Amino acid sequence: MSRRGTIYTYSIIHSGTDSFKDKTPYVVALVEEDRRIRLARVEGYTEETQVNIGMEVEYLAADERDNPIFRFIEDQ
Amino acid sequence: MRSVSVIGIGETRMGRFPERSLRDLILEAGGKAIDDAGIGREDIKALFMSNFNAQFLCGQGHIGPLASEVLSLGTIPAIRVEGACASGSLAFRQALIAVASGLYDVVLVGGVEKMTHQATETVTAGIASASDVELEAGLGATFPSIFAMIANRYFHEHGNVRDEMAMCAVQNHENALLNPDAQLQKRITVDQVRNGAPIASPLTIFDCSLVSDGAAFVVLAATDVAKAVSQKRIVEVVGCGQAGDTLTIASKRSLTTFDATVNAARQAYAMAGIKPSAVNFAEVHDCFTITQIINIEDLGFFEKGRGALAVAQGKTAADGVLPINVSGGLKAKGHPIGATGLSQIYEVVTQLRGEGGARQLGNAEIGLTHNIGGTAATCVVSIFRGR
Repeated sequence: MSRRGTIYTYSIIHSGTDSFKDKTPYVVALVEEDRRIRLARVEGYTEETQVNIGMEVEYLAADERDNPIFRFIEDQ
Repeated sequence: MRSVSVIGIGETRMGRFPERSLRDLILEAGGKAIDDAGIGREDIKALFMSNFNAQFLCGQGHIGPLASEVLSLGTIPAIRVEGACASGSLAFRQALIAVASGLYDVVLVGGVEKMTHQATETVTAGIASASDVELEAGLGATFPSIFAMIANRYFHEHGNVRDEMAMCAVQNHENALLNPDAQLQKRITVDQVRNGAPIASPLTIFDCSLVSDGAAFVVLAATDVAKAVSQKRIVEVVGCGQAGDTLTIASKRSLTTFDATVNAARQAYAMAGIKPSAVNFAEVHDCFTITQIINIEDLGFFEKGRGALAVAQGKTAADGVLPINVSGGLKAKGHPIGATGLSQIYEVVTQLRGEGGARQLGNAEIGLTHNIGGTAATCVVSIFRGR
């Protein structure tokens, strides 16, 4: 079983800063894991992705600042 | 602590003024406020200046002496105050405390911001510095996306208020049509808001406040002094509260109630000795449309979860029972960040004096301003009463 978290809330970003504008659209979310809520980026968003509060996402990695990166699980 | 009143106000029009310098904006708004107070420059004993981001957007720091020089205030103490989008009301509160304590009889408070000469990505990065640059901006979260996450959570807890959010923008634009200082004087519709360019879902460009240049100033005096010098209706600061909260969105107790607002408002109401129902009108911090709905609940005007209904019923429109943002708000009057809190006070004092012209409210005895910084990490609520 992979490490998973649950989306507490989210937004799909269409207008980013210089550092992230090449990634748009992309998703940031508050993800709950073991009752701890952290801000995360969720990779793998496409126009077909139906994002919902309460959906599970899979832990992918930590960024260089130790912020969590998750990804959408395709078969949900 | 002694009573303090506003005796002078001045502001520039809000807008896109690439040809105007910080100095130019300060000169106009500060000069108007001093003239409006009918006092001499030598009467001003201290200057409190608000500015959020000139160091990043304009390369200019040390705004206190800059403004003091522009306004020919001599060698009085000048200080800059910063608290993101709440900078203006933070400077106001510091000035209020300085006069209330007896340290000074008359002080000047000003705010200025110049933003529109920079590219959108640069402005977005500048505003993102009001959040946590490592834990939030560094991950790709923009400031609109943080309030977009708040909106989606609000929908989850209290129901979808997408249309009512749009109505806040529509009402604020409607109000701005009658305000000559407003940046945007353009009627919009709910459909336009819903179908606007997407910024961070569910927010479109029409859910976001404006990027603006502008300045606003206020002269404060001990009420005893105000009575001796002022030719206009004296507007007493009867309540003022300030509260804070965590910087990051992930560490908030709740996303749909802003604790900083609740606590600042509680202090302000207690100091004024009034209940929320005694307030006739308010300028609240509509950085995004969802924020306006949350604010009118947190300020005690409407029950939690019922703010959107009040908007839909027209209760917060200019002709409603509790007009909100009759100036046009941050959405349509404009949001020159460091000046915004003082621009809100400008509107409340204008209304309490009966100088609102075409947008003058019929019942204006007690007005409230509400100003938040960052993700509601700083909040100041002030209450004003005409005497």
